[in-house]
Amino acid sequence: MPAHEPSALLHATEIVHWIALGVMAAVYTMRIRWLLSFRATRDRQAPGNPARTNAKRGALYSLANVMMPWAMESTRKGFLFYLTFVLFHLGVVAGIALAFLSTLARPFLQIPAVAAVTIGLLVAAFAIGLYRMVRRVARPVMRLISTPDDYFSVTMLTCWFFLGILAELNVIGRLPGEGVMVAYLLLTSFFLLYVPFSKISHYLYYPFTRTWLGRTMGHRGTFPLVKG
Amino acid sequence: MSSNETTYKIQVLRELLAKKLTRPVVGSLVSCVHCGMCNDACHYVMTHPDDPKMTPSYKADQLRKLFKYNYDWTGKAFPWWVGAKEPLSDADLDVLKDIAFGTCTNCRRCTLNCPMGVDTATLNRLMRGLLSSVGVMPEGVRVVSKDQWEIGNQMGVLKEDYLDTIEWMSDELVNEVGDPNARIQIDKPGCDVIYTINPREAKYDPRTIAAAAKVFWAAGESWTMPSEGWDQTNFGLFSGDDQLGGAAARRVYEKMKGLDAKLLVISECGHGYRSTRCEGPNWAGIDQDWNMESSVFTMLRYLKEGRIKVDPTKLGKRVTYHDSCNLARSCGITEEPRELLRAVTTDFVEMTPNRAENYCCTGGGGAMSMSEYTPRRLRSAKVKADQITATGAKVVVTSCHNCVDGLSDLIKHYKLGCEVKQLVDLVADALVIEECAVMKKPKVVVEMPKPALPLHGRRILVVDDEPDVRTFLRTVLEDAGAEVSEAADGDQAIAAARASKPDMITLDLSMQGKDGIEAFAELRSDPGTRDIPVCVVTGHPEFRGVIYSRAVPPPEGYMDKPVRDEELVDNLRRIFELRNHKVHA
Repeated sequence: MPAHEPSALLHATEIVHWIALGVMAAVYTMRIRWLLSFRATRDRQAPGNPARTNAKRGALYSLANVMMPWAMESTRKGFLFYLTFVLFHLGVVAGIALAFLSTLARPFLQIPAVAAVTIGLLVAAFAIGLYRMVRRVARPVMRLISTPDDYFSVTMLTCWFFLGILAELNVIGRLPGEGVMVAYLLLTSFFLLYVPFSKISHYLYYPFTRTWLGRTMGHRGTFPLVKG
Repeated sequence: MSSNETTYKIQVLRELLAKKLTRPVVGSLVSCVHCGMCNDACHYVMTHPDDPKMTPSYKADQLRKLFKYNYDWTGKAFPWWVGAKEPLSDADLDVLKDIAFGTCTNCRRCTLNCPMGVDTATLNRLMRGLLSSVGVMPEGVRVVSKDQWEIGNQMGVLKEDYLDTIEWMSDELVNEVGDPNARIQIDKPGCDVIYTINPREAKYDPRTIAAAAKVFWAAGESWTMPSEGWDQTNFGLFSGDDQLGGAAARRVYEKMKGLDAKLLVISECGHGYRSTRCEGPNWAGIDQDWNMESSVFTMLRYLKEGRIKVDPTKLGKRVTYHDSCNLARSCGITEEPRELLRAVTTDFVEMTPNRAENYCCTGGGGAMSMSEYTPRRLRSAKVKADQITATGAKVVVTSCHNCVDGLSDLIKHYKLGCEVKQLVDLVADALVIEECAVMKKPKVVVEMPKPALPLHGRRILVVDDEPDVRTFLRTVLEDAGAEVSEAADGDQAIAAARASKPDMITLDLSMQGKDGIEAFAELRSDPGTRDIPVCVVTGHPEFRGVIYSRAVPPPEGYMDKPVRDEELVDNLRRIFELRNHKVHA
């Protein structure tokens, strides 16, 4: 495998995407401060079922909900959809890792198993992205609740996955030149800058919403749910 | 004028939103990714597949748009990009009213099925609260809220009527068990238990009060009922008005503390329990330092402690249990009712899904008081009807008065041929009195005067176009001591009322010729007949809004067909009593 000797253009692109990461981190910090600027709540009533559960247990259950597809009817009955959700988000993780490791630890990405997993996840996420675009456009319900941000976000991510596949191929030497990597890093930079202002930042709020809901439901005795 | 008023309303809406924004609310507002997974959780969606506007995220988006427009960075800079928008006119507010009140029962099933933990039901309640604050709400919600603010309970039951009802139930219980100690004590200080009820019990279903009293008596409990602050229900939960919620809850807590009771027991009511036990302290801003529990827990404890004995074979019918949304999803009460139910029956079958995944009775969220949405509500009830049918049960048991009404309505609508009961009914019926501690004392024989017939000497005009119904009503009323005359349509009714000046008219609404709605307006407009009390007896509960919106005094009673004989007599008796109170006052 040839040593990574980036051109000035690629080098500049790499710097830009690190700056974009810094900007995103700064905006996210502001976002969290903004969220926490709203009034906190607390339950003044006595615990609902202290023998079985409590606020802490409820919060942990709620946080772990994402890993328990059997816990919610929507994920239990729609297991295939849940699977696409998992793969899509793993694809995002793979794509982010690819962008930053390509500048920090390129040889790691060239390990055949790592490359195979990365490409596999990106291909799956790309296919799911296409499915999600079609789903959002084709279903009346999805059209009704979708905003331009929703369409743009899924389209941008799907394109990003596609470029990620090409970028990983470039990393392992199957695709020559730097154009693909430059395009991928530029899109990643845009992605990082756009995300805090779009619905994609939902994952930033996830721990908060799930904890708050779980804490309340645990205090009242509902979480963890009792199954029949 | 209209545009100024609109501007003012939206300004108030915006100001109130600022006060209502807490971290959990904002979290739910910013976290939705519009994935659509809440869609299949909603009974409105399941029964209205042709209407995408039923999806929960669309309903929550109505508030989300307003929030984004005023608070979100992107929403303020590029509102169209993220769907940020403010209502602009009264018509917009009316649309929001129909969404928030007419397409959601706040059952919270979508909340539990959202991967992000978005509490859509809470957002919908918040939207209701904003709209209520500017006077945009269904008429039923306005009337009930007003009653709870002004009279102290959401059904406008006067104190005298409430006390009369307790007295009446006391008499019946003493008669039944033959023990003068079974009498219900009012405002007795220092008791172990203070028992609060749903005003529906005092107004329409007093037997549940007697049933609870029988259980308390059998358990040898030291208990009392308050003369005020007895309504454990709270329309603030439905209207989104936290101030009403706090005021109503505070009345109950203060009365309990004033009487120095040790435990506040809340009769079987889902929203009442949630309001009093869970939300009330938060709305009222009081840290709970007293004990509260559902009567389900109380009865179960009596059973476990051996204070009451039951015979599970008495009912002899297959039963199923309907989990109230407020109890199961919002308060985690799922197992105790089942434990109790298994103790008092022999053939209990679960409905599927159940517990926190159960479907709403479709009467929740105040839906029963919003007659304008009745057709949609009943259509959405198909899900529940199918669930019940699949169990093969003859009795649907629930621990919620709202659910009793919602289920009874859908059972009638879908002709399911089963009945609805509450746990207190079953426990009271299954009691083995001979083995109770109290009964081991020498039995006191109480001579009770035979009560006079409840409608003795009352002249009642029965108006209905169906001969069978007229015959039924005549039989029931004559058995209760009334003198009955009949009319088959509106014209006949008006003529008969003018000629004979009856003491009361029972009025059907949907009739051939002049219908009951027109006849009612005419009766009320005529000085000769306007003071005759009218009790509407109709198969069209959705006409309630039409009748109550007339510019004439409302009817004294409104009953849905089919009516039970006891219920009919009781209602008419109470109307007469109320009339007497007013005359004497």
